[in-house]
Amino acid sequence: MKTINKIYTVLILFMLYAPILVLMLFSFNSTSNTGVFTGFSFYWYRELFRSAAAFAALKNTLVLAISSAVLSTLIGTMAAIGLRKMRNKYVKGLITSVTNIPMMNPDIVTGISMMLLFVFVGTMLGQQDKLNFWTLLIAHTTFNIPYVYLNVSPKFQQMDKHLPEAALDLGCTPLQAFFKVELPCIFSGIVTGFIIAFTMSLDDFVISYFCSGSDFQTLPILIYSMTKKEVTPDIYALSTLMIVAILTLLILSNLSGSKEERAKIRALRKKRAAARKEAKA
Amino acid sequence: MKQEKVIQLQNISKSFDGEKILNNINLYIRDKEFITLLGPSGCGKTTMLRLIAGFETPDEGTILFEGKPINDVPPYQRSVNTVFQKYALFPHLNVFENIAFGLRLKKLPEEQIRKQVKDMLALVNLKGFERRNVERLSGGQQQRVAIARALINHPKVLLLDEPLAALDLKLRKDMQVELKNMQKRTGITFIYVTHDQEEALSMSDTVMVIAEGEIQQIGTPTDIYNEPVNAFVADFIGESNILDGVMTADYKATFSGHTFDCVDSGFEKNEKVDIVVRPEDVDVVPCERGMLVGDVTGVTFKGVHYEIIVDIRGFKWMIQSTDYVAPGDHIGLSIDPDAIHVMKKSRFSNMFGDYSSFSDELEKLSDLSEEENE
Repeated sequence: MKTINKIYTVLILFMLYAPILVLMLFSFNSTSNTGVFTGFSFYWYRELFRSAAAFAALKNTLVLAISSAVLSTLIGTMAAIGLRKMRNKYVKGLITSVTNIPMMNPDIVTGISMMLLFVFVGTMLGQQDKLNFWTLLIAHTTFNIPYVYLNVSPKFQQMDKHLPEAALDLGCTPLQAFFKVELPCIFSGIVTGFIIAFTMSLDDFVISYFCSGSDFQTLPILIYSMTKKEVTPDIYALSTLMIVAILTLLILSNLSGSKEERAKIRALRKKRAAARKEAKA
Repeated sequence: MKQEKVIQLQNISKSFDGEKILNNINLYIRDKEFITLLGPSGCGKTTMLRLIAGFETPDEGTILFEGKPINDVPPYQRSVNTVFQKYALFPHLNVFENIAFGLRLKKLPEEQIRKQVKDMLALVNLKGFERRNVERLSGGQQQRVAIARALINHPKVLLLDEPLAALDLKLRKDMQVELKNMQKRTGITFIYVTHDQEEALSMSDTVMVIAEGEIQQIGTPTDIYNEPVNAFVADFIGESNILDGVMTADYKATFSGHTFDCVDSGFEKNEKVDIVVRPEDVDVVPCERGMLVGDVTGVTFKGVHYEIIVDIRGFKWMIQSTDYVAPGDHIGLSIDPDAIHVMKKSRFSNMFGDYSSFSDELEKLSDLSEEENE
């Protein structure tokens, strides 16, 4: 039974990751042949790094990802703080559901509706380029906020609700209490929220496609436009780099999270062992 | 002995969501006193503590601290500190930093902080625990850190909100003694909130019994135990048989169909009263010598004594005796005059005091639901 389990797991993992592995493999192919691996080389990476368009797009993507992640982290965290103090359960539930809509909504609907709004407002304001960096930033920040909120608000629930009071009691002003006590307690949630927002922005295609203008292209859009002509292995190289970047971020966020978890589990075990000892004695 | 009044509550009322939690509370707390606010869950005792700490503001009335009103003073400017029920230690700081928290805010020099924290750790018996993670301490140790964190600020008044509720029985007993010693050593006024009457009696200089948002009785532990003012206090503090009685004359009380000699006077002739008889004050005697006679319906061995339930004219008495009697036995009871305590009728009359539905299991169940409510 155990061997069957193992085989099954390996099979599933293989199916999940085979496409990516093939992609990575062919990014190191020495020719543009998509069927046969003719030899290992960094040719396509060199080719990629020579392309100015790819670099501009990479820069754009990073600028957009970082700025939208920062903005959404700020707004999402503030929302979590504000909603925690709200007493009315119904209003709280309503706002939480509304906050989550951008996440549930199909990307294509969000994308089209945002484009419509930006064009509408842009026309009203008499703007030439109705879709630009700012519209993209607004769009990305919008769909990132729920991810931050969903990571931060459980941290508040886990936190002992008397902690802020304890800080006030010991002489903190409300502002000091927040920065000295509450912020450290929710910080890991904020970091996770930020990283998820960053990666979400990094790999978004659908919404960006509708909300970006001609002068500000992100990597996913560039790749899409490149594939319209002919798929060359430098796109594989680019994709490989993106996968590696996102993988690194995920591993980092998991490591920071699991360190805490492990410490907690260890503490719990110790307590249980002590309790058992006491019970025996 | 004249002592300064450190805290006074004047005509304090407080409601939450339209429900009156505290109703016109008037009290004062003397300096250097160990006072316990005792009452069942939801009686308003924690609210009273939170008002003094400054986490809540009263709807009506004034809180005075050393004679000055402090209604509008925020908690961080009051010289009171709180030990929270679940400790509320800062999980991101180690033991040292938790205790040093208040001093760091006052921007004391590092050396002074180090010294004071060290002294504090010695006071609470946690020497060498400086670098420990607070989440990995046992309940009792966390408790000590919480106390040290509050005491290091040299508050005028220390507020303790059921600080021992989460500890197991043995540890709780030890901590009771330690807390009492700490209070004596530091000379700080302790205001202690609990629903555990035993804890209240064994630790306090003064006990304040609270029910339904009102103070029922204030007094020393012995006063509260021996001279409860009404059926609620009598029932809540210790075990009591509470009966309907009539004062036929001074020093004469009639209940359970017998007229007893007692030590109370000053009631009107034939005034209806509540009679309290503590289970340990009743003697089991042969039927013919008994003032009252009844049938034993239940016996429980409690270690020090037997707990005997006796049916007398349909009223179930509880009696504690070191001598065994068998269920079904016909026994007599004898009560000394000074064991009979007479109370005026109150709105709590006839709500307590009969042991017909008494069982240990039931008591535990109700304890559990109390904890969940909190």
